[in-house]
Amino acid sequence: MMTAKNTIWIKQSLRLLDHELRRGELTIIFLAIVLAVATVFSLTGFSGQIKHAIVANSTNTIAADRVFSGNRPIDDKFIEKAKSLDLAVAQKVSTDSMVFHGDNMILSELDAVSENYPLRGELTIKRSINGDEEVVGGPKRGELWVERSLLSRLGVEIGDIVEIGVAPFSIAGVLVNVPDRSYRFLVAGPSIIMHVDDLAKTELIQPGSRLSHGYLFAGEQDNVEEYEEWVKPQVNDTQRWYDAKRAQNRLSTTLDSAERFLSLASMLGIVLAAVAVAVASRRYGQRHQSVVAVFRALGATISHVRNLYCLHWTLLSVISIAVGLLLGYLLLLIGANAIESYLSLDNTPLTIVPFITAIITGLICAVAFAIHPIKDLIQTSPLSVIRGFSVTKLPKFGSHQLIPLIALFALLLMFSGDIIMSISLLAGGILVSALLLTIGRLVMSAGRSVGTKAGKSWHLALANLKRRASENSVQLVSFTIAIKLLLLITVMKTSIIDEWQSQFPDDTPNQYLVNITEEQIAPLQAFTEEYDIPHRGFYPVYRGRLTAINGEQTIRVRRDETEEEVSQDKQEEKSEQESEGRRGMGRELGLTWRNDVPYQNKIIEGSWWQAEDKTPQVSIESGVAERLAIKLGDELAFDIGGRTFTVSVTSIREVDWKTRQLNFIMVFNQAVFADFPSTSISAWKVAPEKKDAFYNLIAQYPTISMIDFDAIMKQLNEMIEQVTIAIELILVLVVLAGSLVLVAQVQASMEERERELAILRTLGAKGSLLRNSVLFEFIALGAIAGFMASVGMEIGVFILQTQTFEMEPTFHFSYWLVGILSGAAFVGTIGMLSCWRLLNLTSVTLIRRTM
Amino acid sequence: MQVNSETILKVNALTKSVQLEDKSLSLLQPTELTVNAGETLAIVGSSGSGKTTLLSILAGLDLPSSGEVYLKNHPLHQLNEEQRSQVRAQHVGFIFQQFLLVNSLTALENVMLPAELANTENAVERGKALLEQVGLGDRMEHYPSQLSGGEQQRVAIARAFITEPDILFADEPTGNLDTKTGLTVTDLLFALNEKTGTTLVLVTHDPKLAARCQRQVEMDSGVLTEARSDSDFVDRSAINVANMG
Repeated sequence: MMTAKNTIWIKQSLRLLDHELRRGELTIIFLAIVLAVATVFSLTGFSGQIKHAIVANSTNTIAADRVFSGNRPIDDKFIEKAKSLDLAVAQKVSTDSMVFHGDNMILSELDAVSENYPLRGELTIKRSINGDEEVVGGPKRGELWVERSLLSRLGVEIGDIVEIGVAPFSIAGVLVNVPDRSYRFLVAGPSIIMHVDDLAKTELIQPGSRLSHGYLFAGEQDNVEEYEEWVKPQVNDTQRWYDAKRAQNRLSTTLDSAERFLSLASMLGIVLAAVAVAVASRRYGQRHQSVVAVFRALGATISHVRNLYCLHWTLLSVISIAVGLLLGYLLLLIGANAIESYLSLDNTPLTIVPFITAIITGLICAVAFAIHPIKDLIQTSPLSVIRGFSVTKLPKFGSHQLIPLIALFALLLMFSGDIIMSISLLAGGILVSALLLTIGRLVMSAGRSVGTKAGKSWHLALANLKRRASENSVQLVSFTIAIKLLLLITVMKTSIIDEWQSQFPDDTPNQYLVNITEEQIAPLQAFTEEYDIPHRGFYPVYRGRLTAINGEQTIRVRRDETEEEVSQDKQEEKSEQESEGRRGMGRELGLTWRNDVPYQNKIIEGSWWQAEDKTPQVSIESGVAERLAIKLGDELAFDIGGRTFTVSVTSIREVDWKTRQLNFIMVFNQAVFADFPSTSISAWKVAPEKKDAFYNLIAQYPTISMIDFDAIMKQLNEMIEQVTIAIELILVLVVLAGSLVLVAQVQASMEERERELAILRTLGAKGSLLRNSVLFEFIALGAIAGFMASVGMEIGVFILQTQTFEMEPTFHFSYWLVGILSGAAFVGTIGMLSCWRLLNLTSVTLIRRTM
Repeated sequence: MQVNSETILKVNALTKSVQLEDKSLSLLQPTELTVNAGETLAIVGSSGSGKTTLLSILAGLDLPSSGEVYLKNHPLHQLNEEQRSQVRAQHVGFIFQQFLLVNSLTALENVMLPAELANTENAVERGKALLEQVGLGDRMEHYPSQLSGGEQQRVAIARAFITEPDILFADEPTGNLDTKTGLTVTDLLFALNEKTGTTLVLVTHDPKLAARCQRQVEMDSGVLTEARSDSDFVDRSAINVANMG
C-alpha cells in the first residue's frame, strides 16, 4: 500500500507529460532545448572531429622527428653530421607549379620527396578510386601521387599523363593520408607528390624561383637531441628548425580560434533558445497554477506536487536533450558528408566532449531558465481555488534574474574558455541589448503617436505594440541582430567585393607570370604587343637577405621553433637582449633592378639614378626605411646565395601597395646585378576575349607559373561563400530561436489577446479590423527590427569599407528596403501563424471563453 | 432525511482578519457553527460578506486568525499546511464555481484524481461508474476544453464524490452556468448527495439553490446568523436581492 501511495506521483507525472506533449503545450520548451542541444552538439562535435582528423589522429604532423627548412639547399655538412649520428634523412622540396593536361591547367602545390619519405607517420594512397588504401613511401620516378580533387579539376583519371614544367608524369594514385599535409590545399591548389630526382627535368628550378627545401630527420631520441644541440646555433633567419609539437600547436591554435568564433556566434542562438524556455516556462507556470491549486486542495502534499513537477520537468529535459543529440548527430553527419572530398572524418571517433557540452547546455536551458517559475508554481497556495489566481508581475530587475545571468555566464565561459572574454561579452551583450531596447522603444512610441492619426487597424496595432513593449523587446533585439548580420553578409557578398574590384583602373593586372627565364622574355614581350596587353614590364627577381646597415650586422631573429610558444613581444624582447646589432628584415626579400622609377612609385627623398650609372645604388620603400631607421646615404649589405655586396641608399620611395601592381621594397640599379642569374616576373592585364590566346602561350612555356588573379578572386569568393554558409546556418539557428521566443511571447499574451478581442467583438468590431490589427502589430514589430538592423548594417559596412578595404564608403539603401520588408514579412507571418487559432474563433466562442 | 447526530464540523469563536497596511480589516466576527454528519447546509450572503472566507477556513484551505475549527475531530486551526492536506485528502470533497478541471487530463483522469491522492482502490472503475451516473459515460476520454460548462461541472461533481468524502464543500457550483444547466447540475449534486449521505456545505447567493438545503445560515459583513426557516430565508433574501438591484 505504501509503495502505491509513494509512487502515485510518478504515474500522475507521466500522465501529465504524455498529455501535455501530445496537446502541444510543451512544444516551445521542447523545441528550444532541442535547438540548443543540437547546435552545440553538432558544432563542438564537428570541430572536434576536424581537429582530431587534422592534428591528433596523425601521430606525426611533420613526417619526421625534426625538420630543417629553408629557401635553398642546406650545406652538406648538416647531412653528413646527421648520418654520423645514425639519423635517417629524407628530402622534401616544395613549390607551386602549373600542371597541364591538354587544354586544362591548374596551379598546384608540388612536393618533391625522396624515396624514404616519410620518416614518421604513414603516407597512404589508393591506386584506383575504389581500391584499397595502401601505405607507401615516395613515388617512383616519373609517377605522381595527387590530391583527389585534382582529378576533377583537371579532368583527368588515375593513369593519365600530365605535364609539370617540361616533363610528363603519370598519375599513379590519389593521396589519402599525408603525415605532414599542410592543409594549404584547402585554400590554394591541390597537392602533388613526385620524386625529388624528377624536379630537375621539369626545369622548374631557375634562379630566383620560390622554393622551400625541407630536410627531414629521424632517429634515436638521444641522437636527435644531440644533433639538435649542434644544429640550432647554426640556423639562420631564413631557415626554420622545428619539431612536431610546435607544428601541431600552430595548427590547433588556428582551429581553436575558428571553433571559438563559431561557438560564440552560435551563443546568440543558444541564448535566445534559453530566453524562449524562460518565457514559455513562465507561461507554463501560470497555466499550471490552477492544476497545482486543485491538487493541493484535493489533499496532495507539497512534496507530492514537487516530486510530480520535478519528474515532469526532468523527463521533458531528458527527452528534449535526447532528441537534440540525435538531431545534432544528423547535422554532424551532413557536415562530415559535405567536407568529405577535402577531409575524411570516417576514422575519427566522436569524443565525450560534445556530448557533455551539449547536455550541460540543455540542462542549463531547461533548469536555470525555468527554475524560478517552476519554484513559484510549486508554492501555489491551495487557497487559490477559492480566491482566484494571480499573475505576479515580476520586477524588471530582481533576484529571479540572478540564476539565468549566472547560467548565461557559465555558457559563455564554457564556449569561450576565457573568463575576461566572457565577462566582456556578457557586459557588451547587456549594453547592446539595452541600447537596441531604448531605440526600439523610442521607435515604438513614435509609431504610437503616428498611429493615432492612421487608420483604425494601424491605430489598434501600434497601441498594442507600445503597450506590450517590454514583452516585445526581446524579439526586437533578436530579430534586429539576426537581420543585421544577414544583411551584412549579403552586402559583403554582393556589393563590397564588387565595389572593391571595380575601383581599380582598367589596366590593373589580373595575371601574374612567375619563373620567366631570360630567353622567354622576348617572345612574351612580342605576344603582349601583338595582342595589346597592358603590362609594366618584366622584373628580374633575386632572393637575398639584408645582412648589415652601415657595416653593422642586422640582428638574427632566432626562430627557436622547438620552444614553447611565446608571445611576439616577448620573443622580440628576448632576441633584442640576446643578440647585438641593428634591426633587420628577418626574412629573405625579393630584389629587383629598374632603370626607371617603377610605375606609380613616388620618390620622396633623394633622386633616381641614370641607367648608365655604374655605382651600386638602391632605392628603399619609405615604410621599411622608417621601420629600420635607414636614411639616404646609408650603406646596405646584401647576401644573395652566399655572395655579398654593399650598396648605398640614394632614394626613398613611396609605394601604394594596394594597386595590385608588382612592387618591391628594394629596387637596385642594373649594375648591381650584372653577373647574378635570375628569372623574371611580370603582371599583365589580359582581357577575357584574349584569354584563349594567352593560355595557348602559357602552354608553350610550361616552366612559367601563372597566378590568375581572377581565379584567386573566384576562389576567394567561393571561400566567402563557404564561410557564409557556415555563418548563415548559425543565423538560421538565431532566427529559429528568435521565432520560438516570438511564439512563446504570443502564447503568453494569448489570454490577454483573447479578452481584448472579445471586448472589441462585443463592441461591434469587424473581423477584418481585428485580423488586420493583429497582423499590423507583428508587421510593425518586424519592420522596426528591420529598420534598426539596416542602420546597424550600414554602420558595419562603413567600418568594413573604411578600415578593412580602405575604400570610399557607400550607402546601400536598397538593402534597407530588403531588411525592413523581410523583417516585416517574416515576423508578420510567424505572428499571424501563432495567432491563427485566436483569429478564427467565432465571436460567440471568444466571448464564452473569456467572460 | 438521514440526519446523523454525529458532529462532523465544529467552529468555536472563529475570527479572521487581514492586515492592510497599517490597519486590520476584520473579515469574520467571532463565529460559532456546528454541522452534523449527513446534514446539508447553505451559507448565503451577498458578495464580500465573508462567506467564501468562512468556507476556505472550514475546508482547511486557510487558517483562522483566532478560534477553533474541528473537522472530523481534527483541530484544523492547529495543523500545518501539510497536515491539513492529509485531512482534505481523507475527508473532504470540493466543487468550485470555476469547475477547475485539469485541462491536460481527460474527464476520467480528472475524476480519478482525488481517489489516487487518497490512494483509494479501483479508481478507474469508480471513476467510470461516476461518469456514467452524471451522464457522461460516452465522454470519458474527452478533455475539459471539449466539454461544455455544464458538462465540466458534472465532471467536477463526479470528481467530488469519488472518494466518498465525509464532507463536501461547494462554492457557488452553479455560478458559472445558465439557469437551465444550473438546475440540472443542482439536481445531480443533490441526488448524489442523498445517495451517498455526504455532508454538504454549500456557499451561494442563489436563494433557490440555498432553499434545497436542510439548513441555511446567512453571512452579512462577517457576522453569521442562523436563518429561522426556509420560507423566512427566502423572503429576506428576496428583499436583499431586490435592494441590491
